Amino acid sequence: MSAYAALVPLLIIVGGAIFILLLEAFWKPASKTPLAALALLAAAGCGAACARLWSRGASAFGGMLRLDDLALAFTVIFLVAVAFTILIALKYLPRQNADFGEFYGLLLLALSGLMVMVSSPNLIVVLLGLEILSVSSYALAGLKRDDDRATEAAIKYFLMGSFASAFLIFGLALLYGAARSLEMPAVAASFAGPSGDSLLGLAGLVLVIIGFGFKIALVPFHMWTPDVYQGAPTPVTAFFAVGPKAAGFAVLFKLVAPVGDQAFRSAKIQVVLGIVAGLTMLVASLTALRQKNIKRLLAYSGIANAGYLLVAVLSGDGVGLMFFLAVYLFMSFGAFGALIAMSRAGEEFHDLDDFAGIGAKYPWLGALFAVFLISLAGFPPLGGFLAKYYIFAAAVHKGLTPLVLIGLLASLISAYYYLRIVVFMYMREPVRNIELDLDVPAVYLVLFLCLYGVLQLGLFPGRILVFLKQALASLVL
Amino acid sequence: MTVPAGYFFVLSLVLFVLGIVAFFVKRDLISQFMAIEVMLNSANLAFLALARQAHFADAQVVVFFIITVAAAEAAIGLAIVLVIFRRRKSIRTADLNSLKG
Repeated sequence: MSAYAALVPLLIIVGGAIFILLLEAFWKPASKTPLAALALLAAAGCGAACARLWSRGASAFGGMLRLDDLALAFTVIFLVAVAFTILIALKYLPRQNADFGEFYGLLLLALSGLMVMVSSPNLIVVLLGLEILSVSSYALAGLKRDDDRATEAAIKYFLMGSFASAFLIFGLALLYGAARSLEMPAVAASFAGPSGDSLLGLAGLVLVIIGFGFKIALVPFHMWTPDVYQGAPTPVTAFFAVGPKAAGFAVLFKLVAPVGDQAFRSAKIQVVLGIVAGLTMLVASLTALRQKNIKRLLAYSGIANAGYLLVAVLSGDGVGLMFFLAVYLFMSFGAFGALIAMSRAGEEFHDLDDFAGIGAKYPWLGALFAVFLISLAGFPPLGGFLAKYYIFAAAVHKGLTPLVLIGLLASLISAYYYLRIVVFMYMREPVRNIELDLDVPAVYLVLFLCLYGVLQLGLFPGRILVFLKQALASLVL
Repeated sequence: MTVPAGYFFVLSLVLFVLGIVAFFVKRDLISQFMAIEVMLNSANLAFLALARQAHFADAQVVVFFIITVAAAEAAIGLAIVLVIFRRRKSIRTADLNSLKG
């Protein structure tokens, strides 16, 4: 009985995905709105199934799939991200001549991969989830197959993604050789044994971290990110910025956090990861300074945020990590939602110059975009401030003060390039005349939901923190 | 006469490094993709060698998973290469330059 209960959320999503793909193949609806509605329905059904399992948990396949509270909390983040993606894509896809029903099926398949990634203690199952996610992501990035940029983004994503997968898989082989098992607790235990960690296991862990470093875009494995983010359709980019990042950090946290507190050689990995985190925050912020394309700029901003998240992993601060991800979900989708509104049929306006004078011409859009940018920059009273504050406070507590100083410096730099967009929107004369087609109620719905999220998490974070603490209590290290 | 498992492991390491080198040296998409396939299969060999050393059988199941994963990646990857070739009549990486910043 309980085995089926653990499968229900996944079955709803995968079933929905296959049903949508079949409908698209045989029914061929002229308008894709019914397929989008179906995808939203599947996400809602999955959310209801997850809510029923909350604080009870369930497992299937001999513990290979375990839906504890942590997995459920991450699943909720993914579900919200996918629902937002569907809503902002509704009008965008037909406008940009990319109205393929497969989009909704592939998105649900990617979601199922994310869910598998966070709900298994076995690294091979995590790998399978990651591959389900990756294969659907490559197709999503190349959705506009008649567009040079989109196909180029897809092939770059594919090559770098499978290159990273090869590192990950080889690393898993080495970890298996050292630990004789790929269950995460057994792997962690092999690092804590009386004889200490073996060179084999250490090399395996490094390769696995490199593999995940590519996937979540840590410097120096980030080169593909701006190209892919710029070339992919904007709703897909918004999904990439949140979904895979959240899942990757969930796995990294479970893998690295227990290794960190030991006095063996593996503790050195903490030092290396600290350097990676510092580089990620600094390099991404500095490169973002000279971006003229806002979509590329948001890609670099995403990389910088991965640096802050890595600081949370290093200080073992699970609540801070999840709180940042929750806030980032709203900030990021808010910013990308505003970017999607900057379009009309067949055209998108993503240059910094295009934003000149937008604040006066389209007051609602300008004000909402400004709020999300200010939250990304980390000003109180918005969510972005508290998210960074929790992470930095926990890091100082753990003695990672140099890293926190780098983080503060990076935040300072980032405030400049976020606020520059706001300055352009409100204090510059329009460079050229831009006519937006703002008949996009679904995008405005997402924007206002994100505004609510950013304000709620910034002003009254108490309830969500209790929720996150309960989720983390289920994590057995 | 049986070959010690350690030899297979060393062979897998050599193949993995060769795959990495080929990925960076080769200048067209199909060869780069083949380099990745070599890396994936070297990981398979490493799994088998380490499992034999430990007299464990479960890694042999893992290998089947990885073969499936490689097949799925090949399907989507070759499809994307095909789309690129149809549009640009070239699969050289130097011609992929429409995204810059």
